[in-house]
Amino acid sequence: MALRRRPPAGTTTQDERRLARDFAGLVAALDDPDPTTRRWAARDLEAHREASPALVARLAVETDVSVREVILTSLTCLGDDTAVDGLIQALRSEDALLRNGAIVALQQLPDAVAPRMEALLADPDSDVRIFAVRVLESLRHPRVEDWLLEVIERDAHLNVCATAVDLLGEVASPRARAPLEALKRRFPDEPYIQFAADLALRRIGEV
Amino acid sequence: MKQILVIDDAATVRLYHRGILESGGYRVTEAVNGVEGLERVAETAFDLYFVDVNMPVLDGYGFLRELRSRDGPQPPAIMVSTEAGEQDRRLALEVGASHYMIKPVRPETLLACARLLLGERSTP
Repeated sequence: MALRRRPPAGTTTQDERRLARDFAGLVAALDDPDPTTRRWAARDLEAHREASPALVARLAVETDVSVREVILTSLTCLGDDTAVDGLIQALRSEDALLRNGAIVALQQLPDAVAPRMEALLADPDSDVRIFAVRVLESLRHPRVEDWLLEVIERDAHLNVCATAVDLLGEVASPRARAPLEALKRRFPDEPYIQFAADLALRRIGEV
Repeated sequence: MKQILVIDDAATVRLYHRGILESGGYRVTEAVNGVEGLERVAETAFDLYFVDVNMPVLDGYGFLRELRSRDGPQPPAIMVSTEAGEQDRRLALEVGASHYMIKPVRPETLLACARLLLGERSTP
């Protein structure tokens, strides 16, 4: 007869995860000391519409990268106002990995992000505006070019405009021609702006 | 001729860096993310890396972390990012970057940094 090996004490097995667990239990498990338990809880909370506040709260303090990734995935699947607000809040984090994860998550939520994009692009913090432009990189939304043109026409910050003109090189239509020319006039001594705007203009000319 | 690998998901940035570095006499290879960067590293012995921080698939931190965990020569790496935060800079150095530059980088600064890290004082 084959011996069945017991799992080491303190680990969470696939079977445990399959046990029926209620919402309160899963929320409590988000604070478990074992990252595996937290990861499964975050994964299973994806099925609970009311889970976003708990996931957002955990995201703010979670240090385990794998748990954090699952929380971001669950928040993306939930995609409600609380989830999106939590992801936007993560853009203000000092933690670069968390910020990058939040950007990727927000890119998956074009309809939820769109109503907030103008406020993000007007944020007093230039870093947040840069992250907002980076959200636009993969945001499948018909207003992406409009937002980018607003950035290069209005934003006074070099790095924000540089990030936007990078992306315009890929998505710009002929109506971007005048704003790109104006951007070059606004930053006449910035080699990168001149280079990127010229490249975008050449690409428009080829369209 | 010294070989430099430029890793950035933005085609405009890759072209910009390539133009500057080639004007300085270097041979440049491009990669669009960290995974492609590791593939290029397996094919060529580079003298210097320019690595963007934020990229899909595998970001600059992941690329350098993987690279620095390997045995063998460890050429210098310059991380380039739009983020100017102290924690970003610290994390870059922790994963093995030799230097951290904020985008957009001026051509003369880019070349000066490359020459310094390649141990060259004068024009190559």
